[in-house]
Amino acid sequence: MSSPVQAQLSGLHARSESLIELTREYDRNRVPWEKVEDQLESETADLVKLQEKLGCEYQTDGALSWKDQLRPVVDSISGLAESTRYSRWFDTNTFYKKPIVNGTVALAKFDSGTFVKSNLLSKDRKWKVTLPGPYTLTELSENKHYSTQSELLREFASVLREIVLKLNSVGVKLFQLSEPSLVYWPYRETRPSTDDLEQGIDALRSVVEGVRAEFVVNTFFGDACPIFSSLQSLPVKAVGVDLYETNWETLPQEAREVGLLLGIVDSEESLVEQPKWLVDTASKVQGKLSCPSVILAPNTDLKFVPRGIADSKLSSLGEAARLLQEGLS
Amino acid sequence: MGDHLFPLHEVGSLAKPRWRTKGLRQPLTTSDLNEAEEWASRLGIVNYHDLAKEVLKNGPDRQRKLLQLSTLYGLRLFEKAGLDNDGVGGEQQRVEMYEHVIKNVEGMRFLGHVNSFDYKYFRKAVAEGAVDRSQPIYVQEFRDVQKLAHRAVKVPITGPYTLVDWSYNEYYQAKGTEGSSLKERKMSARRDFLLDLVEKVIRPEIRDLVEAGASWIQIDEPALTTHPERAELEMFVEAWNETVKGFNCKFSDHTCYPNEVGYRLLAEYTPELEKCSQLTLEFANRDSPELGIDGGAREGYQALRYFVDNGYDGEFGIGAIHVHDYTGVAPKQSGLVSGRDIIESPELVRDRVLYASKIVGDPAKIWVNPDCGLRTRTWDVALAKLTNLSKGTELARKEWA
Repeated sequence: MSSPVQAQLSGLHARSESLIELTREYDRNRVPWEKVEDQLESETADLVKLQEKLGCEYQTDGALSWKDQLRPVVDSISGLAESTRYSRWFDTNTFYKKPIVNGTVALAKFDSGTFVKSNLLSKDRKWKVTLPGPYTLTELSENKHYSTQSELLREFASVLREIVLKLNSVGVKLFQLSEPSLVYWPYRETRPSTDDLEQGIDALRSVVEGVRAEFVVNTFFGDACPIFSSLQSLPVKAVGVDLYETNWETLPQEAREVGLLLGIVDSEESLVEQPKWLVDTASKVQGKLSCPSVILAPNTDLKFVPRGIADSKLSSLGEAARLLQEGLS
Repeated sequence: MGDHLFPLHEVGSLAKPRWRTKGLRQPLTTSDLNEAEEWASRLGIVNYHDLAKEVLKNGPDRQRKLLQLSTLYGLRLFEKAGLDNDGVGGEQQRVEMYEHVIKNVEGMRFLGHVNSFDYKYFRKAVAEGAVDRSQPIYVQEFRDVQKLAHRAVKVPITGPYTLVDWSYNEYYQAKGTEGSSLKERKMSARRDFLLDLVEKVIRPEIRDLVEAGASWIQIDEPALTTHPERAELEMFVEAWNETVKGFNCKFSDHTCYPNEVGYRLLAEYTPELEKCSQLTLEFANRDSPELGIDGGAREGYQALRYFVDNGYDGEFGIGAIHVHDYTGVAPKQSGLVSGRDIIESPELVRDRVLYASKIVGDPAKIWVNPDCGLRTRTWDVALAKLTNLSKGTELARKEWA
């Protein structure tokens, strides 16, 4: 049985300065890919060891090879135009390759190795992969094929479900679906309607329902309050909120069976949160919301800080989870 | 300037020639110098051999001589292309717009690189103490330009909002800020950092530049449209007005590559910007390559309406040529697509200028420029693009007359 308090890593972790230099040299055709691959494996192994040391029940590979938060998914799908158009990743100074939908989307070429380095993960831990949720994937794409966004949303949800099933078959037990577009809207001309958001939640349901795996739906970059209650209806292990965007005191207090992923470490700031502060803050939130379980996590990908800081933030999360578990025992 | 419509100016950096980059680290070879000599001939730098001798000497001021020579090349490239204002010669004396400032700010420390996308990265620093300017940042460059420029000079500087947005903010967050939620406290610390940077770093720099004779300062704020939220725009306006307060100088804002709502929201706030004589904006990137002066062909310039409708009454510097990789196609009469470049035809530039003038309603308010700096293009491509920018603008002048 899972512990009611855990620390987990999410999404894309930071690359080290050595790996950065190698990828740059590779980009300039100065080193072969094999050298980059060796360094990637070595750094992934280090990250796995760190999670083991911290007692993380669920383990990720840090997605160090992912070129952006959507890329392995986008590269697996047919019906998208070849494009080098990059768009801003929400309100950050980072970018992603924008999917341009110009045909029927379908899972075309699947290689589990592009999603997870399973050979480097511990066999005695549960494996976790973070994927974009269907609503966010749809919102961040340009639709030149389907007559409505709802149609595209349904198709993307279906493809994501296939990807989840395939990854589950190679051993991934927990999927974190990132849905920042459910809570961050300033890039749109108009706010999404309630119907739009409900369709987003239905799409999430169609990805997860009936799959023999665990799921977390995470929101970040925006205030989760308006949609928090609706997300509780999903058959998932936890729903995530970004504590640096959501005032937890205003989250609805209601009986709930779904756990809480608390985005309590700020992935966009270099200051390393101290375990004591994490424990105090998490205890206050837990006291108010009475969630059956709490996952302590970064609010979003730790790729927004240099590697050393990202590792320190993860260590703080692990230590805070340990202190909270001790308090419970 | 002032004697013809649609004056032309540059916006940002040019690529650094190999001999400039390499020469800062090691002695130059004959082949490096051959490249420099070839460009000297193309740009009409007649005393190249005398200048090159200075650079080849191993004296204590060799690096400065090299930067001055590179600045001269940049200025002459803009001049040859036919620009009316040559800026500071393509920012040849700056490493990069963020680092160039931050390395001269006490209280800031570089922490490392952060992944932007693919295998691209940017260096990021943290405010770990109260910020203060440790030495002048752009003044030496401006003095060099004053000696070398034949035409008018505008000094681009990196804006405080962008510097804050691209930095971590430990010191001001730890200082204890107001707000009931973490978000409010973070925002309050961001404002403290921004206003301190304006007061301690940017205003002293502007004061020095104005005292040295600068008459036009372009404040580059590429990060401005990253956060299309009212609270952010209000903070930007407050910082801008503090920045320019009391200076007798022309100021302009350069902003580029917003998301779908970025310009619309920015437009609501631009009338509140004091002493902002010009908005220099990117449009070509979002425009079609078709010829024509109707709204369909010129879809990229529709956003100009937001600024006009909201009552901004200053000049517009309109981006009329693309500066990044071009991945589309273009009709023959609109330009030449080669590899990752497009050399826009004079006719395409003409139509963009005419359409922008139609929207703004007063051609005297239109300046013409590239979307942003041309630093990702080779000098051959930059010169070809700027030359056509100049020719196209001349066609627009004739058409309008």
